[in-house]
Amino acid sequence: MIFLFTKQCPLSHTFPPESKRTNKMSAESDMEYSDNDGDDYDYYGEQDDCDMETVDRTKADPEYFLYSCLRVEEVEKLLNESIELLSNSLQITPSLAKVTLHAYEWNAQEIINKYKENANEVLVYSRVKSRVALGQAGSSRASCAVCASTPHLPKYSALACGHYFCNDCWSMHFEVQIKQGVSNTIQCMAQDCEVIAPEDFVLSHVTKPTLRERYQQFMFKDHVKSHPQLRFCPGPNCQWIFQAWAREGARRVECRGCELLTCFSCGAPHHAPTDCATIRRWLTKCADDSETANYISAHTKDCPKCQICIEKNGGCNHMQCGACRHDFCWVCLGDWKTHGSEYYECSRYKEDPNLANDSQHAQAREALKKYLHYYERWENHARSLKLEEQTLANLKRRINQKVMAGQGTWIDWQYLWDAARLLKRCRYTLQYTYPFAYYMEIGPRKELFEYQQAQLEAEIENLSWKVERAETTHRGDLENQMDIAEKRRTTLLKDFLEFNTKSISGSSKV
Amino acid sequence: MANIAAKRVKREIKEVMKSEEIMGGAFKLELINNSWTELQGEITGPPDTPYESGKFLLEIKVPETYPFNPPKIRFITKIWHPNVSSVTGAICLDILKDQWAAALTLRTVLLSIQALLSEAEPDDPQDAVVARQYKEYPSIFAMTATHWTNVYAEGKKAIVDYNRRVQVLLEMGVEEHQARVALSTHNWNLEVATEELFS
Ligand SMILES: [Zn+2]
Ligand SMILES: [Zn+2]
Ligand SMILES: [Zn+2]
Ligand SMILES: [Zn+2]
Ligand SMILES: [Zn+2]
Ligand SMILES: [Zn+2]
Repeated sequence: MIFLFTKQCPLSHTFPPESKRTNKMSAESDMEYSDNDGDDYDYYGEQDDCDMETVDRTKADPEYFLYSCLRVEEVEKLLNESIELLSNSLQITPSLAKVTLHAYEWNAQEIINKYKENANEVLVYSRVKSRVALGQAGSSRASCAVCASTPHLPKYSALACGHYFCNDCWSMHFEVQIKQGVSNTIQCMAQDCEVIAPEDFVLSHVTKPTLRERYQQFMFKDHVKSHPQLRFCPGPNCQWIFQAWAREGARRVECRGCELLTCFSCGAPHHAPTDCATIRRWLTKCADDSETANYISAHTKDCPKCQICIEKNGGCNHMQCGACRHDFCWVCLGDWKTHGSEYYECSRYKEDPNLANDSQHAQAREALKKYLHYYERWENHARSLKLEEQTLANLKRRINQKVMAGQGTWIDWQYLWDAARLLKRCRYTLQYTYPFAYYMEIGPRKELFEYQQAQLEAEIENLSWKVERAETTHRGDLENQMDIAEKRRTTLLKDFLEFNTKSISGSSKV
Repeated sequence: MANIAAKRVKREIKEVMKSEEIMGGAFKLELINNSWTELQGEITGPPDTPYESGKFLLEIKVPETYPFNPPKIRFITKIWHPNVSSVTGAICLDILKDQWAAALTLRTVLLSIQALLSEAEPDDPQDAVVARQYKEYPSIFAMTATHWTNVYAEGKKAIVDYNRRVQVLLEMGVEEHQARVALSTHNWNLEVATEELFS
């Protein structure tokens, strides 16, 4: 539907001339859909898609990652397509196809190839069939080994392994397993038998509708979890599912529902430039050391000049004391003037070079000091991010007020909104530079990293200061600051994000 | 469901009674109360192991959902074994966890526990201290296990030297079991054990 683009976007002339033809064709479809294009209009009213600069920026984004965010129904459809494909090409029931796909991590093509070579091996590997020949396995139908009853012959059933049990026992077995959250891997009841009960077998023994429903829900969750291209959004009560094709390195995906940023590779909160293994180490460490680090999370500090108690209420770390007007840094309590220079010392941790000679005790103390240095900054940015949520909400309200009062339209004030969003993005990246720096070995590469980190830190604080005082800041000034901050952010990511640096040969690793 | 559990337990006790003659009294199984949910088992330490001739009592709890869920079993008698906690008696055995199958019986479980006494699995330990000794000092492990069997499970073979060392600590005012644990943990090094107890 490019036509809408060309119709509304002021930059339409940058499209190739063939858009003329599209235009003509789409004119018809435009007519066709004219009565329900309310949604379309809203969508294109967003402006963003017309902004060529935004498009370019996405391409230049070092974190750019191709993914989609899908609804449950869309994923169900996707899974069903695989199931249908396999069931048709191998001539097996959809239930068996599910068991097999689950075992082979949803690689239908691999299953089809292997099945052609050795069908039996595929079924054994998927635990549809027993490795032991049918004659050796199996059991009699004189009495049920589980309940010790002797029901009539038609009341027994067995999986492909031939272990017969009475239907009542199967029902209870499935009920117990489903209540424990097991779905795709419910096994046969015989000793040492690993054969799995496929969906149709389970459902033929489970009659309670609530239980059937739970079974199918668990099954779906399990399918998503076992599928290498899918991941649930970890947001609380969030139903959206990400789909992507790479599973290594810090990969940013943003939920369409709850807007949470997640790493597709590992499921942790998105963590670039830190890699997956490092962020896991860091988060575990923080959880373990939370007691020690607790004292830092105080929301108030004393002004270093007049000692009056100051509460931090915005995301900005550049503090100004309401009493004495002293400008200082919330993180290190140093004079803000020393932070304004090109080399921002506050973010850099200076390791003691004589450390190796010190006693074990001193080393332990130094290690804690080092950890606290990084932790404090990590924690502080996390808190700033939360506070900036409020700033964002306030801003929205303020813009709305202005628009209501006839002081321009939303489009006129859009830049403020963009600035606040950009600030959030920058601070997010900045927060995740601290675990990265903590685990980095001392050397020129760490020096470069901490230099860039310091620059980013400085520009973000400048931006934060300007956004909070947006009404008195000149628009051009603010936009300039936005540009600088985002450039610092992308430069750091380009230089240090794992999958960006991987392509560069060892030469860059000093 | 509880109905099946009771029915199964009844039948299983009968089954063990019958097999008892065959096994020559290798184990026992009896009800603790009449609700079929709690039983006590007893297994005899297998010959040619440090547990030989020992009588080990087991606490067996049968869940409502038995046999679709496994029984909960732990040692009541104190035992020195890599797959049994020397503190709580908890047992690390696959068929009591994810390898449980509804067709398994208490008899097969007791047999498996007995087999575990003959052949420990130190790579899947329940008690890390014991498992390390088992791997690093097998002869000290064997003597320690024999000693515990003698003291706690009526085992016939006494380790005189170990009794003497426990006695030394007793005279210093240490409680007996505590003394035995400290010495067992530190490979019967009196000095190290004393240091740990008095630090
Ligand atoms: Zn039955
Ligand atoms: Zn079977
Ligand atoms: Zn979400
Ligand atoms: Zn990750
Ligand atoms: Zn002040
Ligand atoms: Zn500072």
